[in-house]
Amino acid sequence: MSRTVRSIFAAGLAIVFATAAAAAQTPPPAEVEAEISDTMTLPSPVPTWFFVDGGWDMPGTSIFDGETGKMKGMVETRRLADMAIDPNGRYYYVSETIWSKVDRGTRQDMVSVYDSKTLNLVTEIALPGRILIGSRKNNFIVSDDGRFGYIYDFSPTSAVNVVDLSKRKFVTAVELPGCASLIPNPGVGFSALCSDGSLATVAVRGAKADITHTAPFFAASDDPIFDNFAYDRAKKESVFLTYTGQIYTAKIGPTPTVSAPFSIQAAAGIRPGETKPLELNWYPGGRQPLALHRATGQLFVLMHMGEYWSHKASGSELWQVDLATQKVVKRFVLKEAMNNVEVTQTDKPLLFLNDEKGDGVILDAATGEEKHKIENAGGGIISVPAS
Amino acid sequence: MHSKGQVMMGFDAMGEKLLRRFAGGSSRRSLLSRLGAALVAAPVFPLLPVSRAEAAKPDRSPEAKTAFARSAQTKDDGKCDYWRYCAIDGALCTCCGGGIHSCPPGSEPSPVSWVGTCINPDDGKAYLIAYRDCCGKPTCGQCFCDNTDRETQLYVPQLNNDVIWCFGTSSMDYHCSTAVMVGAAS
Repeated sequence: MSRTVRSIFAAGLAIVFATAAAAAQTPPPAEVEAEISDTMTLPSPVPTWFFVDGGWDMPGTSIFDGETGKMKGMVETRRLADMAIDPNGRYYYVSETIWSKVDRGTRQDMVSVYDSKTLNLVTEIALPGRILIGSRKNNFIVSDDGRFGYIYDFSPTSAVNVVDLSKRKFVTAVELPGCASLIPNPGVGFSALCSDGSLATVAVRGAKADITHTAPFFAASDDPIFDNFAYDRAKKESVFLTYTGQIYTAKIGPTPTVSAPFSIQAAAGIRPGETKPLELNWYPGGRQPLALHRATGQLFVLMHMGEYWSHKASGSELWQVDLATQKVVKRFVLKEAMNNVEVTQTDKPLLFLNDEKGDGVILDAATGEEKHKIENAGGGIISVPAS
Repeated sequence: MHSKGQVMMGFDAMGEKLLRRFAGGSSRRSLLSRLGAALVAAPVFPLLPVSRAEAAKPDRSPEAKTAFARSAQTKDDGKCDYWRYCAIDGALCTCCGGGIHSCPPGSEPSPVSWVGTCINPDDGKAYLIAYRDCCGKPTCGQCFCDNTDRETQLYVPQLNNDVIWCFGTSSMDYHCSTAVMVGAAS
């Protein structure tokens, strides 16, 4: 032992003795109960919660309480997984793909079922395949009654896997050439957007499926509809938005009908968006550029100034469209450009927006006031429980 | 001018492995209907002779160019504004040990891809570019680009740049993206 170490040791001993002496002079502390490690649980999904996917850079879907801005837990979603919330609130479903040796070996596709209270894995439902893409709301949808799941597959043939979630088993794969981006169609099966500009409806009867199409109503290659569109299960309507800013409403049923569109720019009193280059205008953009407050028919759209084909650009403003009057009733200027938006279905709606760095903000939809800022919330898509 | 022969060459090169795999279990008609136009489409400048005859001559004036095409360059394929990258999304293989049509060591090109129609500023002409992913390594961290000229949504998958295109490769792990010349687009 060196002299220095010896002196440190001696000093240390002195402190120990001094502390012991001090302890002897004071009354003994109240008995402290030893703690036991345990695990928290959650209530069923709360209408003011946001589910924020980590996106390409961060695994997991974080659950944030919109009122407090605090994180409540995390659903296990890896890169390119898709999550769906059981409309009955009992489960979180994750459609995902893993390999037996991480990035090689045997491929396994499945829907993993998590209990919404414990967030523990309940079971896995094997699938024949699924698309690998990520950042899509409509590649894994659940029927309004929670009974069926529809999972888009692309291998690279286009198909939809039908899963009976109540029996927890795969039912059938429906080939669906040229169509993707799924919409629940209650009592029928599902609908989907198609490359010929039509809406396909797939009536599923056990292992059989009949496919019908509407007449083409949009230009799938020249002015596409954003595939992260909104669906309102109370009204059985979908709201579609195109790259130029045309807004359509589709009534979903055995034979869907699509409304005449209107321009979001015209609804704000400016000239409509066009497909031509060199036309500087406000355009919708982002990965999840629109959110619908279903009860009031208010559509929130991320908008940026730019030229056509800038449809992934983050929005510097958020426009609030009243669908009934076809007017932009408010334009929120955002502090930071945002890539995704979602809104709670509550009476006093809250907005969640995140940017490409993965930082998020929660705004009061009535005033635009920033309630919370959450760094590293996740840069992926945002979900809320169905109303 | 783009001939059908050139299209079929592109089709073959892109889909050969895949086609062979499907050939065992599918009739040709069924195969074509399932694949649709996925491997050959170029909607802005249609490829099929019948469509081409009906199409107006593409406008090559500067006013007709997108913001990307107006500022694109032809010298440095390690930068996002290189002209062939008009619809690329991902890490540039040229920055990851690969080349414009070559995968970095140990990674494998996907036999299928999404496509873009990009204008070369040196001659003002449009070319069909196949963005083939290189697969089998973790995502390369260099030169990430996301250009979106004529990029569409998932129901037109051959023009969507978010899909992981590592089909028919031994691993589906996305590493980086190349920009392979297929031919003149008009």
